[in-house]
Amino acid sequence: MSDLSRNGFLKLVRGGFLWLSAALGLGGLLRFLNYDPNPAPQSEFDLGPATNFPLGTRTGIADGQFVLIHDELGLRAINTTCTHLGCQTAPGPDGFTCPCHGSHFDLRGDVLQGPAAKALNVPSVELNDGGHLILHD
Amino acid sequence: MYGGRFARSLVSDFSAMLPTKNKKQMRPSFFHHLHPPTTPAAQARWRYTLGAGGTAFFLMLIIGVTGILEMFYYIPNSQEAALSVQMITYHVPFGGLIRNLHYWAAQLLLIVTAVHLVRVVFTAAYSRLRRFNYLLGLALFILIILLDFTGYILRWDEGVCWPLITGTNLLKTIPLMGNYLYSIAVGGGEACSSALIRFYTWHIFGLVLPVVVLSIWHAFRVRRDGGIAVPPPDLRTDHSRISRDELVRREVLAILMIGILLILLASFIPAPIAPAMMGKPGLRVEARAPWFFLWVQQMLKWGDPFIFGVAIPLGLFAVLAFIPYIFPQPAESDIGRWLPASNRPAQIVVSVLALIILALTGLSLLPA
Ligand code: FES
Repeated sequence: MSDLSRNGFLKLVRGGFLWLSAALGLGGLLRFLNYDPNPAPQSEFDLGPATNFPLGTRTGIADGQFVLIHDELGLRAINTTCTHLGCQTAPGPDGFTCPCHGSHFDLRGDVLQGPAAKALNVPSVELNDGGHLILHD
Repeated sequence: MYGGRFARSLVSDFSAMLPTKNKKQMRPSFFHHLHPPTTPAAQARWRYTLGAGGTAFFLMLIIGVTGILEMFYYIPNSQEAALSVQMITYHVPFGGLIRNLHYWAAQLLLIVTAVHLVRVVFTAAYSRLRRFNYLLGLALFILIILLDFTGYILRWDEGVCWPLITGTNLLKTIPLMGNYLYSIAVGGGEACSSALIRFYTWHIFGLVLPVVVLSIWHAFRVRRDGGIAVPPPDLRTDHSRISRDELVRREVLAILMIGILLILLASFIPAPIAPAMMGKPGLRVEARAPWFFLWVQQMLKWGDPFIFGVAIPLGLFAVLAFIPYIFPQPAESDIGRWLPASNRPAQIVVSVLALIILALTGLSLLPA
């Protein structure tokens, strides 16, 4: 430390300040760009009276983002968003097919064929006091 | 009588720019002055340079001008964007032509930049002091790909929603900083409803600004590094030089040819357009990436998005970036010759990469 000359010290301080202000500026810029101006996406959907969905029906909900299936296995909702990279899968007679990279899912949402590695999300559906089905994503 | 003198001097100033027989005695115009008085003939041969770098500059100019014209009508909000594109295409006089020129110049730029890169590797032009400029060029190439992608998204019609979602979700798969990158690029929310304003700003400002700066730097470095790559003077076999006039003449010829090609393409093959995106597209809409990303889409069919969609494509550019640093330097007398033996490894690597990309693209076009 003792041989740190006056000039060397000033140089160090100057360099330090320059780097510090660059880092602060960059950090501020990143925080500025990182703000999400959009409202949080809807996570609760009122599907109406449960009697609207008798056994054997399949109903698309919210532009097809979910499908409500009522069959021998029971009543359940499936989120049709592909778990690979987020395209919307198309429901078919025995499952869901993704238009982007060809993943297949069965009617429970489980993967039949990749590239998707995870099953389709299954949001919970419950009956409220008024007899309406409520979907929680 | 001041007016008459003014008009006469104006006429003589302009006529000084026109080609005349005894140009030699006149002072060169601004455009001529951008060129050195004479240039080694070897640096200006079509069959060496393919004119790719210069063509890229010309195309950027066209893209810039037509892009600014489009901005007079384009509305960057998700409700009106696609409609304003339709207005430009079908209602504004010459709007369709302007948009087609912008589109075709952008596609050609991508191709020409790739050709330029391959040319530079195949003629060992990246070696020694030029390897920094090689990196600048590579950065430009990546920026141009991003510009093409953001421009494609700005159509905001139903064809672009899935590529937009998959492309931006790829960012999320990056460990640690994925979500952060996503929100910086897209602004959070659902890509197909909220990304437009960000893509607009990236396209028009955030990416164009670095492209302009890097292009000027790239051209400056070419000049600073002694012009287009040729062997050092003592190893040259060809000592002939061409004049500034001859160089300008060749450039004008190239500009004319590219200009004619562009106008033909723009007049006869319209840029893609589809109905406006209204929420997420219907399920019948085919999900196909833009042509320059078909190879990535093909790889994504094989599995893990991060490996096939991020790591491998980025790794490929990393390999390109390392070429001048890891392979033995080509012999100095080989600089500027096609396919010299002394940089065979680099040629092989680039050919293999190019073939893989072409093969994947072909594969993705096969019916499933
Ligand atoms: S997004 Fe569905 S398979 Fe890739």
